[in-house]
Amino acid sequence: MTGFFRRLYYLAHRRRLEDELATDMEVHREMSAAAGGTPLGNTLLLREEARDAWGWTWIDRFSQDVRYAIRGIRKSPGFTLAAILMLAIGIGANVAAFAFFDLMVLRPLNVRDPSTLLRFHRRSPQAYAFALPYPEAEFIGSNSRTLSALLLVNYTRVAVERVDKQVEAHFVSANYFQELGAGARLGRLIEPAGDGKPGADPVVVLSEGFWERQFGGDPQVVGRTIHVNGKVATVIGVASRDFGGLSMDDPALWAPILQQPYFAAGSKLLTDFSVESPGVQTWGRLRPGATPKAAEDELKLLAGELRSQHPTGIWENESLPSEPGGYAQSLMNGNSRGTGAEVKSKLYPMFALLGTLVLLILAVACANLGSLLLARGVARQREISIRVSVGAGTSRLIRQLFTESLLLAILGSAAGLALGYCILRGLMTLTSAPAWLNVVPDWRVTMFALAVGVASAIFFGLAPAWQIARQRHRSNFVRQILVAAQVAASCVLLIVAGLLGRALDHTMSTNPGFDYDRLISIDSGLSRHGYSPARARAYLDALEARLQALPGVESVSLTLLPPLGRGAISGGVTVNGHDIETQLNRVDSRFFETMKIPLLRGRGLIQGDTGVVVISESLARAAFSGQDPLGKKLDFGSGLTVVGVSGNARLTRLEDSDSVEAYMPIEPGDPPSLHVLVKTAGRPEDLAARVASTARAIDLDVIPDIELVKSRFERKLKGAEYSALAVSLLGGIAHVLACLGIVGVVAYAVSQRTKEIGIRMALGATSAQVLSIVLRQFSRPVVAGMLIGGGAAVALSRTLRGYLYGLSNLDPVAYLATLSLFIVTIMLAALWPARRALRVDPLRALRHE
Amino acid sequence: MPKKEMPAGALTLLILRVLQSGPMHGYAIAQRIHVLSSDQLRVEEGALYPTLQKILLGGYAKAAWGTSETNRKVRFYSLTPAGRKQLEAELSEYERIHDAIQTVLRTA
Repeated sequence: MTGFFRRLYYLAHRRRLEDELATDMEVHREMSAAAGGTPLGNTLLLREEARDAWGWTWIDRFSQDVRYAIRGIRKSPGFTLAAILMLAIGIGANVAAFAFFDLMVLRPLNVRDPSTLLRFHRRSPQAYAFALPYPEAEFIGSNSRTLSALLLVNYTRVAVERVDKQVEAHFVSANYFQELGAGARLGRLIEPAGDGKPGADPVVVLSEGFWERQFGGDPQVVGRTIHVNGKVATVIGVASRDFGGLSMDDPALWAPILQQPYFAAGSKLLTDFSVESPGVQTWGRLRPGATPKAAEDELKLLAGELRSQHPTGIWENESLPSEPGGYAQSLMNGNSRGTGAEVKSKLYPMFALLGTLVLLILAVACANLGSLLLARGVARQREISIRVSVGAGTSRLIRQLFTESLLLAILGSAAGLALGYCILRGLMTLTSAPAWLNVVPDWRVTMFALAVGVASAIFFGLAPAWQIARQRHRSNFVRQILVAAQVAASCVLLIVAGLLGRALDHTMSTNPGFDYDRLISIDSGLSRHGYSPARARAYLDALEARLQALPGVESVSLTLLPPLGRGAISGGVTVNGHDIETQLNRVDSRFFETMKIPLLRGRGLIQGDTGVVVISESLARAAFSGQDPLGKKLDFGSGLTVVGVSGNARLTRLEDSDSVEAYMPIEPGDPPSLHVLVKTAGRPEDLAARVASTARAIDLDVIPDIELVKSRFERKLKGAEYSALAVSLLGGIAHVLACLGIVGVVAYAVSQRTKEIGIRMALGATSAQVLSIVLRQFSRPVVAGMLIGGGAAVALSRTLRGYLYGLSNLDPVAYLATLSLFIVTIMLAALWPARRALRVDPLRALRHE
Repeated sequence: MPKKEMPAGALTLLILRVLQSGPMHGYAIAQRIHVLSSDQLRVEEGALYPTLQKILLGGYAKAAWGTSETNRKVRFYSLTPAGRKQLEAELSEYERIHDAIQTVLRTA
């Protein structure tokens, strides 16, 4: 038996060994007394000292503290409930935020071996793109030695028979399901052996949701033929619901990527090198032993090798940086591409902001609980003095009081974990997140909840414990700091909530720089059907002519990027050494008129323009600061002359008031990718069906996707509404907590000074004077808290700029409105308990004590 | 009466040495040290029992029930093989230090 196990043995047999020790010592005393010795000392203390050698006395003390704490908690259920509720709110908000972070960044996707997946994108000194041209991906897949498999996905929309809207389809490499370890709900999935060969029979795999919605969950669906984009295909199976694949969307169906040209007649996806090709999102599976760095090095070499065969397809100095591919985060980078430096991920600043907001809630809850504990400490003054007088040391007392806080914190953590789960679950349902995103707390989230609980126990428990144990309740300093902290934290939350609410209101009442109300957007997806530019031009000319002939159509225009659509092209212009990230678009001459974007200076684009650009007012200001921009050069990869300045119109980044735009003429290669915008005279809903049938009639192989820009706008607003709602909820809770805190401390102050108030009233003090005695001590911390909170909100809201839909982050209305709401409610919260001071009966108060 | 406090570790050594002559209960250990030291050393309860616990925990001695001369059930402590080894080690350590101190005292 080693020393450690012997120790454990002593722990396990503590009771018996203690008794034996006691007998030994008793016999010792008897014999010593018989021999005429005088026994000295306290038997119990001596015994405890002897037991100390076993090294387990701390357990006794600790369990004593815990038992005592449990008794204390059971004795005051009201206080306990209030404390746990407050902690649950504070911790729950943090748990929800962390669980979201966990879900996006830390928790691997529910696929086989997520840790060896890498996601690749293209990068050169001049440009970047998240999609790879299929031939490049194919080349890498068949030549890479560091990657055992390359998984390719092409997201596209297709028309399915008897389904009135286009549905999301994912054309995937044949190894996709096998590599990701997906299970079939019914039938089989796409397999590399049969479906991966050229000339294989066209097949599709349905998603479980789509199968239930459209096929009523019919088990006979396997083997049936359906029409996709008018082409016959056999349903081979249904994928299980918990398979999400490598995408945040819930696709309706999957099909082998080699069959993409069959479904999208004429598609050149498999051969097209150009960056305009929709391309494929590319994941690689690392071979055992290979590192991401080695894979990146190898892929860079492969790209160079391929460039010697296809000098125009592959960029000069092209590299393929990787990021971990097995996490939800890697699914967030959609189809963006652009020139200059990559757009920095907005994910981390967003998490930082969210983290700050929820920490503030926790701070309010802890400060509140701290003052509650202080007040309770006063009520326990007698008990504590007794414990001190029977010999409890300061450290023992603090430990005891802190154990109580810790116990509360652990209960609060458990409640917070449950609440956090409910919050996240609710948000996921509200935002219709994919079903496979599993929000059940994992060990990380559980540990986080516990850690936050312990940390808050330190925050809310230690200072009051210290103060109580040292019997210095009269000092108001800690109390005032706690009030100031609560006021400051809830002030920040309320202001941020106010800003988001105002921004929402602002977006709904002002226009985003263009008219979205009466616009229909048509995406014919000609590039998916392999239209050549000339053929696409003919198609678009015919479509434009027919649409213009429709009664009720005001104007028709072509644009590369549809307003509020999913794609984005960004370009970096370097002006005086700093990069301006610009939203680029290529449009025809009627675009500004159709979109109702005003031209402020110079001219618009005219047919046949080349080498010119129309820039938004915001870009003009950012790039030329006050100088006349007309005739100046701007360099987006190639030098362009500014011919006009348009109003600001946030077509791609509605929420970001800092976004700047530039419009260029349509280029000869663009037509297959263009979208058609139709401006209607009346309600666009009335015309949508006519527009759809007109567009459909031009080429029976092409099934255009028709959407009202208005509904896209509303969808975007929904997101803003959710965040405003969530932050308002946080702010509201923090505010209520802070008000409750004020009620508590003022009520306490009144009860403490009853006697003094009585004397003053007897001497003829007026009501105002009495109130000022009670409230004076809180005016300073409240004012200080509001100043700190306001300042912090100003600093914090800078990061919010990109989400405020054009509202200034210093919007005076938001600040004034929230601050005055704050002042009024805080005053009410303070006055309500203070009224009691006025009702003090001087006679009774003097007789008190 | 002890003139001074015993040096640290000395009590362990004494207890182990006393136990070498056979199992003994707590009071007997204290008495024996007292008698053998010609009444110079006196071991108090407050020191004896914590040290005994450490010896037990170290596995140098084990306790067994027996009956005292006053006919009480009490635990008798006896050395284990590990305890004998420990005693030897501590003895030689003690002698080493003792010699060293003596050398300093004589030559300084």
